[in-house]
Amino acid sequence: MHELSMAQAIVDTVLDAAQKNEAQDVLEVTIEIGQITMLNPEQLKFLLNVLVEGTLMEGAQIIIEEIPVEIECQLCEFKGEANTDGSDHYLTIVLCPECGARDVEVTKGRECNVKNIRIEKVD
Amino acid sequence: MHKIADVEIQHDIMVANRKLARNNQRLLDQNGIFAVDVLGAIGSGKTSLIETLIDHLDHKVGVIAGDVISKYDAGRFESHNVPVVGLNTGKECHLDAHLVKHALEDMPLEDIDLLFIENVGNLICPVDFELGSHLRMVVISVSEGDDTVEKHPLIFQDADLVVINKVDLAEAVGASVEKMVNDVKELNPGVKVITSSIKMGKGLDEIISTIESYVL
Repeated sequence: MHELSMAQAIVDTVLDAAQKNEAQDVLEVTIEIGQITMLNPEQLKFLLNVLVEGTLMEGAQIIIEEIPVEIECQLCEFKGEANTDGSDHYLTIVLCPECGARDVEVTKGRECNVKNIRIEKVD
Repeated sequence: MHKIADVEIQHDIMVANRKLARNNQRLLDQNGIFAVDVLGAIGSGKTSLIETLIDHLDHKVGVIAGDVISKYDAGRFESHNVPVVGLNTGKECHLDAHLVKHALEDMPLEDIDLLFIENVGNLICPVDFELGSHLRMVVISVSEGDDTVEKHPLIFQDADLVVINKVDLAEAVGASVEKMVNDVKELNPGVKVITSSIKMGKGLDEIISTIESYVL
């Protein structure tokens, strides 16, 4: 299952940072997921909550921020946020908002970024 | 006293995979090897196509056979007397650059100049994971239904070459090959689309000449 390995990589990243910063608890984790990254945020959250049992991350609030798709149109040279057809995020069709072309290079929106964490530590 | 601290991490797992993919491609380039990532639906004919290409291409071919259980496809490739590395993904639905890095360690790079990397049969999960290949070939067949392209747009937007296989069965399964070709072209106007029946030999010459044109 796709989301499981990604969730495990996220947990490993968070716990590594928590340990390096001598955290006693992880309170909050913010993850950026691109709008067309092939990850379902709800499945990801569910698996994160399973994987963190018994770790410093247990009970932490998981915040998932969706990153909109940005493109460079190969036809009209538009650069910026793309039009998407509004279907499920992982089936989104990316279009140029200026000329409607689908021949676009995606420059943003494929992230799976562990952005930051909020921790509790001894002063 | 306890205090609350915010720690910036900014570790993008996708970027980490892309870095490994770039390293893989560097290793392939250093050894003069052209690599083709073969993606596509389950049962679309990926393995059969690679087997046929091994026999028809004038290259020293190697194959990385990626699958949930890779021994079945790996065995088929081995019978063509080429170096094969089986890559079991276990529960995973796609190959990633890290797995391919390890497979390359087991591949006799000095003995090959063309590498096929057969991905797990899946039109969704492999999309995000570059492997370090030079060419992404997507293989689908009419028997998956002629709406398969519009249902899985991203894999076609990223493809360099699309093969629509088993066109000899189109009438029997009620699929429009023309619709499938048009759907791919709408998503990715510049991509080369070849309709084929590997079993009947249709489209094979065009697939070979297209791959050769990229290798050169």
